[in-house]
Parts: sequence; C-alpha cells; structure tokens
Amino acid sequence: MLLDVKDLNLSFRTYGQTRHILKGVNLQIPEGGRVALIGETGSGKSVTSKAILGTLPDTARITSGQILFDSEDILQKKAEAREKMKGTAFSIIMQDPLSSFNPVFRIGQHLEDVLRYADIRLGEVTNHEDRIRRIDEVLQMVQLGDPERVRKAYPAQLSGGMRQRVLIALALLHQPRLLIADEPGTALDVTIQDEILNLINRLVDENGLSLLMITHNLGVVRQTADDVYVMRFGEIVEHGPIGSIFRAPKQAYTQQLVEAIPALYGERVKEQPQVEVLEGEKPVIEVEDVSKIFESRRFLRGKSEFKAVQNVSFDVFRGEVFGLAGESGSGKTTMARMIMGIMEASTGSITIDGHTRGLWNKDKDLRKKIQIIYQNPGTSLNPKRTVRQTLSVPLKALGYDAQKIDARIRELLNYVELPEHYMSAYAHELSGGQKQRVAIARAIAAEPEIIILDEPTSALDVSVQASVIKLLQRLRDELGLTYLFISHDLSLMRNFCSRIAIMRKGQLVEQGTVRDVFENPKHDYTRTLISAIPVMTEEEEQQKPEVSAEVRAQFLV
Amino acid sequence: MSAVSSSSAALQPAAPKVLSARYMAWYRFSRNPAAVIGAFIVTSVILIAVFAPLIAPYAEHVGSVVNFRARHLPPDLEYLAGTDKVGRDILSRTIFGFRISLLLVIGVLGVSVPIGTILGLVSGYAGGMTERVITGLTNIMLALPPLVMALAIGNVLEPNLTNAMISVTLLWWTWHARLVYRVTRTVASEDYIEAARLSGASHMHILFREILPNCVAVISVKTTLDAAYVILFGASLSFLGLGVKPPTPDLGSMVADGRQYLPDMWWGVLTPGFAIFYATLGFNLLGDGLRDMFDVEA
Repeated sequence: MLLDVKDLNLSFRTYGQTRHILKGVNLQIPEGGRVALIGETGSGKSVTSKAILGTLPDTARITSGQILFDSEDILQKKAEAREKMKGTAFSIIMQDPLSSFNPVFRIGQHLEDVLRYADIRLGEVTNHEDRIRRIDEVLQMVQLGDPERVRKAYPAQLSGGMRQRVLIALALLHQPRLLIADEPGTALDVTIQDEILNLINRLVDENGLSLLMITHNLGVVRQTADDVYVMRFGEIVEHGPIGSIFRAPKQAYTQQLVEAIPALYGERVKEQPQVEVLEGEKPVIEVEDVSKIFESRRFLRGKSEFKAVQNVSFDVFRGEVFGLAGESGSGKTTMARMIMGIMEASTGSITIDGHTRGLWNKDKDLRKKIQIIYQNPGTSLNPKRTVRQTLSVPLKALGYDAQKIDARIRELLNYVELPEHYMSAYAHELSGGQKQRVAIARAIAAEPEIIILDEPTSALDVSVQASVIKLLQRLRDELGLTYLFISHDLSLMRNFCSRIAIMRKGQLVEQGTVRDVFENPKHDYTRTLISAIPVMTEEEEQQKPEVSAEVRAQFLV
Repeated sequence: MSAVSSSSAALQPAAPKVLSARYMAWYRFSRNPAAVIGAFIVTSVILIAVFAPLIAPYAEHVGSVVNFRARHLPPDLEYLAGTDKVGRDILSRTIFGFRISLLLVIGVLGVSVPIGTILGLVSGYAGGMTERVITGLTNIMLALPPLVMALAIGNVLEPNLTNAMISVTLLWWTWHARLVYRVTRTVASEDYIEAARLSGASHMHILFREILPNCVAVISVKTTLDAAYVILFGASLSFLGLGVKPPTPDLGSMVADGRQYLPDMWWGVLTPGFAIFYATLGFNLLGDGLRDMFDVEA
C-alpha cells in the first residue's frame, strides 16, 4: 500500500468554536492505483488532501489517526522531513489555472523557482541550463509543443487549457509517486477538460504514478479511477471498485448521488415532450438574424471589433424549454442579455410575444413578461437584505400594498418549497440551493411568461441541482412558463430541454429537438462537444458519436 | 450522525451550523485588544464630555475667572494639573475642552459624511456626465491644501468655532465622496443590482436600499478614523488662532497658550496635549478595530 490513511480525525477551531471536520477517515491507495475521492461541497475531500500534503491551515488540528506513506507515519515526521516530501513523494495539481500563478512572473520563472527550491531541499546542486532542460522535458510531457514560448509567456498570455497543462507540469517536475488532482479542469470547457483528463491518465500510466482524484463529477471518476471513496460531512460513506459503486451503490446517499447525475444516453434519460405548436401560432421569442458587435477604441490605435454574436436566428414557442448551449465565449450569455433587453442588438431583430424588443427601461410591458435567473445565487442576492425585502421589490413595483405583499411572499415561498420563517433570513444564512430558490421566487413574483435561466445550477452540487431542476419543471407546468435555458452542461440539457441550439464563437452551428441533436448530431462541433462529455457508464460511452482526432483538434483552442 | 441511517437525512442534511455574521464580527472585534482599548477610550472621552460639569473640580474656571494669586502653579493636590497664566485649573479646562472637540467632530462629520455619501452614491451609480462632474469637483477640492483654505476662510470671515467648522466641512466631504464612489462602482456591477432593476425597482430604491447598506461598514470605519483627524485638525486651527474664542476652553488653544511658557512651566501644555493624543488614539484604534471587524478596506 503506497498511502494508507487510518482513522483520521481532524477538527478546525474558528471563532472560538471547534468543529469536527474529518471523522474517522480511512483511505487506501495501492502502488500504481487510481483512487477517486468524491463528495459535494463541504464534504471534507479537499481537507483530506491537505492533510496528506501537509498544507493544512493553522486553525486545523489532527486529533487522532495515522497517514502511512510507504508504511511510515508522515504525521510523526519532523517538519523538515515532511517539507522534503512535497513535490517528490506526492504533489498536487491545482484546481484553478488562473489564480495559481502570480501574474507578474513569466511561466518559466514559476517553474524554475519550484524546481530550484525543491533541489535545494533535496540537497542537489543544479545550474540554470540544467533546470531549463528539465523544465522543457516536462513541458513536452504535458503536450505543450513549444516549451520555449510557454516559458517566456506571462500567465495571462496562455489559454485556460494551457495553464492547466503547466499546472500539471508543475506537479510532475520531480517525478512524484502520488499525484493528487483536485478537481482538474473543472473551470475549463468540456472539450478541454476531456483532453486534460486523457493527459493525466496517460501520464499516470506511462510513469507508473498513483493517482488520487478529488472531484464532484462522477463522469470524471469513471474515466480516471478504479476505486472510489464517497465522502459526506467528513465521513467516508462508502467505498469500493468503481463498477460496483456506480452500478449497485449500497448507501442511500451514494444512490441519491448516482441518480442525480443526468444521463446522456440510455433508459435513464428523461425525454422531455415536444410542445405542440398550433397552426399559425407565433413563437413567443423570435430571434432574427441578430448580431452583436463590440467596438473598442484604443488611444492612438484605432478601432477594434469583436463579433460576440453573428447572424443568429431561432424561435421559441410557448411552453418550451429551449436550450442554448455552448462553451465559454460562444456568445450565449450575450444573446440572453439581448433578449432580456439589457443590451441592444447591433443588427437584426428580437421579437417577444409580438413586440419588438427595445432596451428594458423603455419597455415596461416587456419587463414584466420576461425575467432572468442568474448562475451564481451568491451574487444575485443582496447580502444586506432579507428574503422578505428581496422578494418585496418586484411586488412593490406592481403597486401592491403591504398586506398583499406579505401574502404574496408567503405564496412565493410555498411555490419554491421554502418554509415561511426564511422570510427574515439573510442570504449568507441560506445554502446554495436555498439561495437559488429565493432567486427563482423573485423571478416569478411578477408573474412573467418567459424566464431566462443563465446556468442556474452550475454553481450547485449535483443533488441540489436535481432538486432545483425538478422545481423548475414543476413551476413551468403550474404557471405555464417558457424557459430559455443557457448552459454548457449538455447532459443536463439532454434531460431538461425540449429543443436545443448549439453556439460556437458567436455562431449558431446546429439546432433541433434534443433527441435529434444527441442521437444524430450533424455538425462536427456538436459531435466533438458531445463526445467530450464525461459519462457514468460504458454503454453511454459507446453511444457517443465518434470523432476523429483531426476533427477534435480543429475545435481545441 | 451515522452515515448508514442517512436516507431521510439526505434531503435535510445535518450540515455544520452557519455562524451568524454578527457573531463572527463581534468575535473578531472582541479578540482584538487594540480595538477594545479604542472602544474604551472613545467611550470615556464621550462620558467625560457629557458629564464635564460634574467631573471637573473647578467647573467655574471655564469662564473668564481670574485668580492671579494662583497663576502658574505646578500640579499639586489642589490643582491636579496645575494652573494657567490667569490661575485657572488646567484639568477642569481640559475636561471641558473635550466638549469642544466632540462638538467639532459631530458638526463636521454630521454634515460632511451625508453629503459625501450621497455624492459618492450618485456619481458611482449614475455614470456619464454626472459622474465626471462630481469626481472632477472632488479631485479639485482634494488638491486644495486644507490648512491654507481654513486660514483663508478664517481671515475673510470672523475666526470662531462655527466658521472653523464650516471651513473643515467644506473640505472633508471629498474623502467620503471618493470612498463611497469606489464602493458603489463595485456594488453597482453586481448581479443583484441588475436583478433589482429588472424587477422594476426605482433608482432611489437601488441607491438607498440596495447599495447604501453595502457601504455602511466602510463609511462607519472611515468616519471613526476621521473623528481622530478632525480633532487634530480642529486643534491645529485653534492653535493658529482660528478656533474658538477665549475664554472657552479648547485643547488646541490651551496648548498654544501654554507653549509661551515652555519649558519652565511644562504643565501648561502637558494635560491638553495629552488629551488631544488620548482622544485621537482612541478613535484611531477603534476605527482599525472596526475595519478588522467588518473586514473592509476604508
């Protein structure tokens, strides 16, 4: 056994209160094994990895247990000896490719510093040329073709995928025996994330490393691990080989977690019915040949243009859930903001329920008809206002009196399944899912007909996501809403939308019913996108469209 | 909670309790000795000022009492801080001096903070021409040397407490306008402001109900720190003869008076000088403590 965590108990002391964070955690990683640690926000998975690495904050205290590495308890080792293990015995691939670099230093500087100090710790003498040679080797290992250009670049000059590769290189500089990956690629687009996971897999295979993959994405787990540990509130709930955990989870929590994952293919897909469109019925949202061009004028440099949206047309009919899918920079959010009336289209026209869309503040009738739910409920609720105050804003605008407002707020909380006593709560007292429910209540307060959902669940855990999606579906049926759902999560869209449009770099590449698009994708980009989605089962994997390496390469930035 | 029996608990997780923001803020404040000392000093200054007539051993010495037999007496049991050039008790006059200092603080900040806050809110939220005019005006005012301005105003008008207050106020709002402007710009770009706008909230509602509450922490920290500067600035003005008129006891003019008899009659400047230091230190410590407590930059 390479790593053996035995009955680890850990507590944090903050604000004069002790919290028991890890409760008897047992975890084993065999030599050359690939182990995944999965769990939702606050389950303690990152704390576990920090305990192994020895990077816990000062407020944490390990109360009992052992961490055996090569049968030696590293918790008993002196600080100096533990320091030496960092980067050589184990190293970590960081989650956030941008904030892990200091923006004022070149990439080469970052890598060389790490290497030099690790060498000093190990008592090796190396010179600059030697280090550069080793850095170039590692950069080539992570498939960065032109190491010299990468070394000379500043972090901001590299794409997200390249930065993630550099982070992997950073972890590999000293050939560690255990690689810990903390949500690698989560912040990246699905096509790039897929590449990164393949790369990690290959590196682990070729170099005989052991891997501890920390993630909340069960699809990622299937691709990169053999053993799975499921964690919840600081306890290991269940563990076992991947096949048995995914196919026959024993614990209720694991079952719930597995069920909450939207399926891409197969029987578990929840097919959404197509909306019947009557003869001559007008679409409720008509987007015709819309473009949005951002111009920026720079001093002494003339004008530069950026086409965020180019000649996009689509129709949404009453009662539909229309999905607008795309990766970052595809123009889907710009499109949504134009439909919302927050931005004006440069050319083309947007018609909502027969009215031409103008800017929102000049268009009082449309304002009531259409509402938006934001991606991050943490920033879409004012931290200084209670739920009651937040919900009363749209009601006051409708001219309700105090009594009517109070009754309506109770009704709204009922709709979103929140107990009435939350009226006096502030945003920080609510969980992510509860906050999003308040945001939903605010959006439906003025009885709109259309709601734009801007990635409403991407900041939430999967099990919470499942319940929020269920709520949205219920509200659509009860209140007769039409949804425009914007997301990059195609497996969720497969189960939630009736029709879907795929955008890339401002252009609409394909649209159709979800069934058609997923079972018979026509555009190469759609195929690439679908094939990159991490799925839970081998059967689903096989039903994904086949994409050749050349086609895929063409869509990777 | 055992993991096995969690099927019903799965929907209502027994997640760790969320600490209230008020508890965390109070915890940060009470664990900060400097902040607690600051709060103690400020409270004591306020109490001394309010109850001055009860505390001062010779309350009548505030007026134009002359007792030449007792002039320039060093500190002893009868006059704990000694007497000044006309034989008045320096301790009593210092105690009353706090009143003038606090009056100045209340007068100056009571007017300049609301003005600065409103201008900052409006310029940060409205943008466009309004923003340019207000920030431009703020920058011009900030470029004027405050002491020179105060001297000019004091010379044109009559030098007294009201005019001193006016001249300080005229310059002071700029700092608050700038600070609130900066915070407003950040807050105004948040999703929740857009959401409120799309819900049909009026501009007044957004400014005062949505944005202002998010500025309160910063404003209160800045105001507390400012109280210290206003006391110092007021003392400087009186030292230069632009403050209150004699015989009203003012810390700055008491130092100015005592200065003439230095170094032999050192007690003349010691007590009022220490009083200025004490009050300034108190407000500074309290402000720093509040800054840590609210976790803001001001």
